[in-house]
Amino acid sequence: MSTTMPLDARSAPNPGGSGVIRRPRRDAGRVAAYVFLVALAVFYLAPMFMLVLTSVKTLPDFGKNAVGLPSTLNLGNFTEAWDKANFPRYLLNTVIYTVAGTVIFLISGTFLAVAIARRFVRGGGVIFTLFLIALFLPPALIPQFQLILNLGLYNNPIGYIMLFLVNPIGIVILVNFIRTIPIDLDEAAAIEGCGYVRYVLQIVFPLAKPAIATVAVLHAIGIWNELILATIYLTKSDYYPITRGLIVFNGVYGNNWPVLAAAVMMIALPMSVFFVLMQRYIIGGVTAGAVKG
Amino acid sequence: MNYHFGGGRSRAAPYAFLAPGLILYVLLALGPSLATAVYSFTDATGLPGIKINWIGLENYKEFLTLGAAARENIGALVRTLVFCISVTAIQFSLGLLVAVLLNQKLRGTQFFRTLFFLPVILGVTIQGLIWTLFLYPLGGPMQSVLGLVGLHSDFLGGQPTEAFAWVIVVQIWANLGMTIVIFIAGLTTIPTEVYEAARIDGAGRWQVFREVTWPLLTPTVNTNLVLTIIGSLQAWQLFLVLTGFRPGLTVMGYVVYATAFGATSGGSGSTMRQGYGAAASIILFIVVLVIGMTTQYLLARRERRVLA
Repeated sequence: MSTTMPLDARSAPNPGGSGVIRRPRRDAGRVAAYVFLVALAVFYLAPMFMLVLTSVKTLPDFGKNAVGLPSTLNLGNFTEAWDKANFPRYLLNTVIYTVAGTVIFLISGTFLAVAIARRFVRGGGVIFTLFLIALFLPPALIPQFQLILNLGLYNNPIGYIMLFLVNPIGIVILVNFIRTIPIDLDEAAAIEGCGYVRYVLQIVFPLAKPAIATVAVLHAIGIWNELILATIYLTKSDYYPITRGLIVFNGVYGNNWPVLAAAVMMIALPMSVFFVLMQRYIIGGVTAGAVKG
Repeated sequence: MNYHFGGGRSRAAPYAFLAPGLILYVLLALGPSLATAVYSFTDATGLPGIKINWIGLENYKEFLTLGAAARENIGALVRTLVFCISVTAIQFSLGLLVAVLLNQKLRGTQFFRTLFFLPVILGVTIQGLIWTLFLYPLGGPMQSVLGLVGLHSDFLGGQPTEAFAWVIVVQIWANLGMTIVIFIAGLTTIPTEVYEAARIDGAGRWQVFREVTWPLLTPTVNTNLVLTIIGSLQAWQLFLVLTGFRPGLTVMGYVVYATAFGATSGGSGSTMRQGYGAAASIILFIVVLVIGMTTQYLLARRERRVLA
């Protein structure tokens, strides 16, 4: 600001070179970009930071000043939430639902996708279309409920897991990926005369690993985060997944934000770490699904 | 067709192993999805063993014309559209701007991208609880910020329109990362030579965006617009966590859920009017279909013009 030297410096030596003249402007643009991004980052970080802050406060501390820094670091909220929110039980349920739903879907889905992508079955194109149109159909919610109810699987973990054995976008991603695997590898397997199951599991499965990993992660996140279906189908608290557990806990502990925040933290933190580690698969997956769908 | 190893009997193997996946899909998703239309003409409840009667268009008539409830339903339809337009307009333009900024050679782009996408992974329950705390009316963070400029809000517990606006904010916070990531995927497909050529021609930032980025990004623009429009028309779960079922505040998706399964969730069978809920579901489906198809049509026409 105080010196005029930069002004002289940029106009004098290279009168024709537009790049030199534009440089300060580009820096200004860069600063503006940063200011904007940082402001948006604050909008994202502030609610998360508030959660962390609240989770280590005592209740009187929070009551006195909700946004102030904690006077003591109170980690007791976490043990209290763990015990009172029935956390171990709900977490175990969520893990069981997630693993069972993901594994069964992936096995059935991979065999389905291989048969369609490699045209091993007649009418594969039509079957694939059935999965492609899924996005544009009305929600299955109500008749699905009637079905599970009449099967006697309402308020039953088996019935709940059944809801997660289907994932049309996952099938679309798998089929599109398997189509890109060179067919020569199939021929090699054919010469060895191996059986179909061995062919799918030993030849296709390893080759399709990136797509399978992506679909597995996306599918698992979907089950892990499911709240509505858990609310509809599971009324017995022994069967609750962690999402439903948190909402119920919110209903009971709605006024004790420190303990509630600790409960939320115990779920959100591991998930965030998981996301950062698996980011490549997750983001690759959602963009692949979006672009193809 | 080219499956010839094993020969003979094992030709049936692909069919046999395809069957479970296909049967599950038809039984649990495709069939029920189509059956929604059938249920909408009945008086089905959420209780097993009660006879289901065919009642024609009664559910539709009741939903759209009968008394105060119908007025509330029409209100929900209108709010669904308002929600869709507000969320789409902001999420789309903000997402595009952020994606363009993050597509430059800037330090820390990875960090920003991760941060903005994080809520997508956390899911509605955690998104909702985080914001319920952030919007804590008794001296919470947002209240303190508003206090600095002499304002006060009851946030999610306030007037319906006020609470509605906050749900829009949270909806965008929760899903912006998705829009950004899809835009970035689209931006990386534009070859850098095109930018360089434009820059050599002396084009400024805005010109480069208007003449190069925007037209070449058309397919991604279309994807994002359609996804955001359809997504926000069907969105309602944040309402469940943030506000609960309140008259003057709900959107169609919530009405479907509340009528079919009881507003208080897991409620008694008598409040579970599944035939009526199915009719509401079909009405929402028609709205989504009409708006979705119109958008697709207009965007496809524009794409042909732009990329011609």
